[in-house]
Formats: sequence, structure tokens, C-alpha cells
Amino acid sequence: MSETDHSDATEGGDPIVAGEYVLGVLDASERSAVAQRIEREPAFANEVAFWEERLGGFADEVKPVTPPDAAWSRIEAAIAAPAARPAFALGNLWQNLFFWRIVGIGASGLATACLAALAYLGTVAAPERTPLLATLGQQGGQPGFVAAIGSGGSLVIVPASLLTANQKSMELWLIPTGAQARPRSLGLIAPSQPVRITVPPNLVPFVTPEASLAVSLEEPGGSRTGAPSNDIIAVGKLTNL
Amino acid sequence: MDAIAANRSQLAAALARVAAGDRAALRIVYQDTSAKLFGVCLRILNDRSEAEDVLQDVYVTVWRKAGSFDPARASPITWLVAIARNRAIDRLRSSAASRRSEPIESAEDVRDDAPAALDLVVAAEQQERLKTCLGELEERHSTVIRSAFLDGVTYEQLAQRMDVPLGTMKSWIRRGLMKLRTCLER
Repeated sequence: MSETDHSDATEGGDPIVAGEYVLGVLDASERSAVAQRIEREPAFANEVAFWEERLGGFADEVKPVTPPDAAWSRIEAAIAAPAARPAFALGNLWQNLFFWRIVGIGASGLATACLAALAYLGTVAAPERTPLLATLGQQGGQPGFVAAIGSGGSLVIVPASLLTANQKSMELWLIPTGAQARPRSLGLIAPSQPVRITVPPNLVPFVTPEASLAVSLEEPGGSRTGAPSNDIIAVGKLTNL
Repeated sequence: MDAIAANRSQLAAALARVAAGDRAALRIVYQDTSAKLFGVCLRILNDRSEAEDVLQDVYVTVWRKAGSFDPARASPITWLVAIARNRAIDRLRSSAASRRSEPIESAEDVRDDAPAALDLVVAAEQQERLKTCLGELEERHSTVIRSAFLDGVTYEQLAQRMDVPLGTMKSWIRRGLMKLRTCLER
């Protein structure tokens, strides 16, 4: 074999391709092809694991660098609502828990929350058709959340009273009308913060008047079964404004 | 050694709790490993804010995928390092290709970037084994393999750095890997 041997990528077979992947010498398209094989082929995944474990010792040479304090807060926020990003990140008022506690008081508060949700939709979405609104009532009839969905699927859900999740995650569900009535998860929401969610395109057709939204308490990280737990804390129908 | 073994099992236990959805356990994993992983990302990306983004991505991935960590197959830290390197390399490849404009290093420069052995993240015997096996390779082969791992650079960039044709670089790395594998398996 000469030093300038232009051998093809399969020379040495899977163990070598796996090694190349772990070293990181492949370009973007080769990497993604290999990443797909890792998902599909357990034997190949073992080859990759072999190299990751054996070459991992190189990392001892890397000098540790303490990340900035803000890094952890960002991670914490990201795992608090993996399928949703907190809305209003830029508005001080929106982030102010005190404001939301005030909003939670009584019917006038509820109206404020509705207006707030609408105002928010108005700022992000180009003139959409009439948005749908839902007030999600708790047991006993007290409003727990107010939600508004624009026709493009941009949804904002605002807590309308003080709610605690007690180590659990709150998950939002869309319950379509009719035969398709299986609840579909719209992601995790925050008990004390307005959250903006983009309804997945395949679920947008189910966002209709008379469909419902519900919030359930789930194990941390959200439902693992794809269906809500029995612990539904608030539910409400979507209606035209 | 005992400290490392204890550390390792603590970290594995924390990952098991993360898999069960325990946020406090993720915090423990973060505290124990974030400086190392941030260092790994920084080394590859050479850009603090990009490295911070990737670091966030890494721990969110850990949060979601801790259940797939298999203590029989990997040590916790190499599993984490692998996630960090993969994310960092993917980020590097997706940003404008070869955006990095460092001077091309000669073989000597690469070597001068001396192994610092700052902290032991992997069991000492495994470390020893890697060192021994690397020692059995031609020096230029082990140099480029080490450099590839640490910097996450492509064949092309390595070839440029070492001022050799692409085919030569591929051949060096592949031969090195083949020999390395035989040795590491022993």
C-alpha cells in the first residue's frame, strides 16, 4: 500500500468507519450517514461504543474550563419545558411572577390574562383568522389557565391562578372532537409562567371550536405513555372569540 | 484509584436518577462534569458562546437520554465526553465550513501541545493501555489520531495542517486505527 493510497471509505470495514466517526474526521454528510447507521445497526453501534470508550482517555488532556453561571440556568429552563419555550422572554412584565399573581385574582384578572394572551398573539402572528380561546377550569370551577391559539398553530397558555406542580410536570393536551378524540400532547408547560407553544402541523387540523385543552400532572419530564395521567387539573373547550 | 472508582459509580448512580427524571441528579452530574465538557467543547469550537450553546444542548441531551447510558458498556465520563464531542463536532461542521482560520500547525506544533494529564477522567489502567497502544504506532500516525480526537478536525483539515495529500492522511489514520484496535482489544 502506498502512502498516497486513495482508498475508499470502506477500507478496514466497520471498525474503521466507526473509529473515523469517533475521531471526528468525517465531513457533515458522512457523519450523518454514520449516525443513522448507529441508530439502525446495533453491531455497528457497538463498534462506535468501543472507540468512544477506548479513546475517551484522550479527553484527560483537555483542560477543564468552568462554564459561566448562567449556563446552568439555561439548562434548567430548557429541561423545565422541553417541548415549549417560555414565552415573553423579552418582556419584563411577562416574567414578573408578581404580575401573574395579580392577574390570577378574580374575573377581572382572567380578563386581563385573556387580553394579555391575545395581545401576545397579535405581536407574534401576522393577522391571523380569529384565534380560538379556552379557559381551562380547575375542579371547583376556578380558572386555572387561559389559552389562545392562532390559526397557524401558535399557542400561548397563561396561568390564571397560583398553581404548584409539586415535583411533577404539567403537560398540556389537545383533545380533538369526534372520532379522533385521543388526547395529543402539546408539550410541557410551566405552572408560574406564560408559555408559547407551536402546535405541530399534524395537529393543527384538530384545533377547532369544541376541541378541548387539558392540563395534567405527570411524572417529571412528562408522560411516557403518550397519554395523560388521571391527574387532570384543568380542562376547557376552545371557542371562537 | 479508589477515589476514581467511587467517583465513577457515583456518577453512574446520578445518571440512573436522571433517567428517572430527577432534576437534582442532573445538577450533580453537571457540577461534576461541566468544566471538563466545557473544556472539550471549547477546544473543538474555539468560540466561547458557541461552546456555551453546545454545553446546554449536551445536558439537555443527557436529561433526555440518560436512560440509554449502559454502565456495562461505557464509563459515565466517556459517555458524557462522547455526547459533548459529537455535539461540538456537529456544530462545527454545520457552521460555515473551515471557518476557523488558525495558522496551520506543523507536526511539531501539534506535538508541543503537550499531554497535560490534568485530571483522571478514565480509569488509570485504560489510560495506560491507550498510551501503550499509541506508542506502538508510527509517531506521525499517533500524532494525527490524537490531534483529530482533540480538535475534531476533518481529514481535509488534518491533511492541510500536516501538509500532506488527503489520501495520505486517510491512509495514516486508517492504518493507525487498525493497529490501535488490534492492540486495544488485547
